[in-house]
Amino acid sequence: MVLKLYGMPVSTCTRRVATVLVEYKVPFEFVSIDVAKGEHKSAAYLQNQPFGQVPYIDDDGFILFESRAICRYIVDKYPAPAGTTPLVPSDIKGKALFEQAASIEYSDFEPYAYPTVREKVFKPMRNLPTDKAVYDSSIETLDAKLAGYEAILGKQKYLAGNEIILADLFHLPYATLLAKAGSDLMTTKGPNVTRWYNELCERPSWNAVKDGAKSFSSY
Amino acid sequence: MAILKLHGGKQATCTRRVATVLHELQVPFELIEVDVANGAHKSPEYLKIQPFGQIPYIDDDGFLLYETRAICRYIAAKYPEYGLIPTEPKANALFEQAASVELTNFDPSASKAGLQLWIRKMGYPFPTDDKIIADNLETLEKKLDAYEAILSKQRYLAGETITLADIFHLPYGVFVTYAGSESDSVMNRASRPNVARWYKQLISRPSWLAYLDGVTTTTAY
Repeated sequence: MVLKLYGMPVSTCTRRVATVLVEYKVPFEFVSIDVAKGEHKSAAYLQNQPFGQVPYIDDDGFILFESRAICRYIVDKYPAPAGTTPLVPSDIKGKALFEQAASIEYSDFEPYAYPTVREKVFKPMRNLPTDKAVYDSSIETLDAKLAGYEAILGKQKYLAGNEIILADLFHLPYATLLAKAGSDLMTTKGPNVTRWYNELCERPSWNAVKDGAKSFSSY
Repeated sequence: MAILKLHGGKQATCTRRVATVLHELQVPFELIEVDVANGAHKSPEYLKIQPFGQIPYIDDDGFLLYETRAICRYIAAKYPEYGLIPTEPKANALFEQAASVELTNFDPSASKAGLQLWIRKMGYPFPTDDKIIADNLETLEKKLDAYEAILSKQRYLAGETITLADIFHLPYGVFVTYAGSESDSVMNRASRPNVARWYKQLISRPSWLAYLDGVTTTTAY
């Protein structure tokens, strides 16, 4: 049975998963959840995702949620496409450096990129007021954190070494919304971050889903 | 082979998370205290090792690694016999789901409230904010309702056996209880008996009890 991805087409976390499915050329059916109508908070939905969030997958009866966990599962289950290196290394030290990079994304990027985007992009969409203090402090911290990225990316092409890994791709959904949130940090902080960010933006897998996740029956 | 060196702070929150896991895995380690009070973690030499200027990091016979969850995962992978990271594919996926739940649904509010409550309890001279504590505890209460649903069906977050995903809830899972009492706190409410059961199991583990007064060099178990 083909893998089913349940989510919202433009949701950041849904597109994070869709990107990796396309990277690994995994056929999948996209099922749209009516978030506007609160379908993700229904009793039926909460049986599959107890936090009432999108997305989740149903892989022939195996239910999994949390976008980063889904992405790891895809990389673990399917072989890397011919001519590419796996998005998660398997040797113990390579895996450790991958985990370091994955933790950097979650500890040093997302906590500041997400509130920035929420205040200036998501809240206006829902006619909610922007909290300028939160926005300003998030941008300020993100700016400081990107100095760490600039140092790392001056020594190597990607966050865990010279091959792209899942942790690099995890940045795409929020990083690409920063411009809409009024911040050009990804292309002005430093030449290394700019180079890395632009390369990520050029990935065909991201471009296939950046305007909205959809089904892919073949590649 | 040199003993593993844990560079951090005796009382520091993230250093304690790593020490707890090292203890779980019975790994001898030497604590090397970083002079955070005097800004040692922001020096150019330190930033070459940890570019975000944070503690802790480890030096495992010359292999340097930072980010506590990465450090814990690295050590757990070296000692798979402890089962703290399941290897069977579906069990591993459910572990990753639980580890991600900790990151996305627990840590954001628990670390914000927990850090401030810990600062107050330790009497450190840093500012704290009642509203930040209250707002984050409120968010955490709602998240823990979902934890109650999960833990009503299984003993631990990834299944029937404990994994790193459960242990990652320390130390902030303890610090957030400083806003309540031993018999009634956000982690121990009558309305969430399964969360309370799981929480009590976590804090009774020898690895947590070993460093209640702070992390210390541990050469034997």
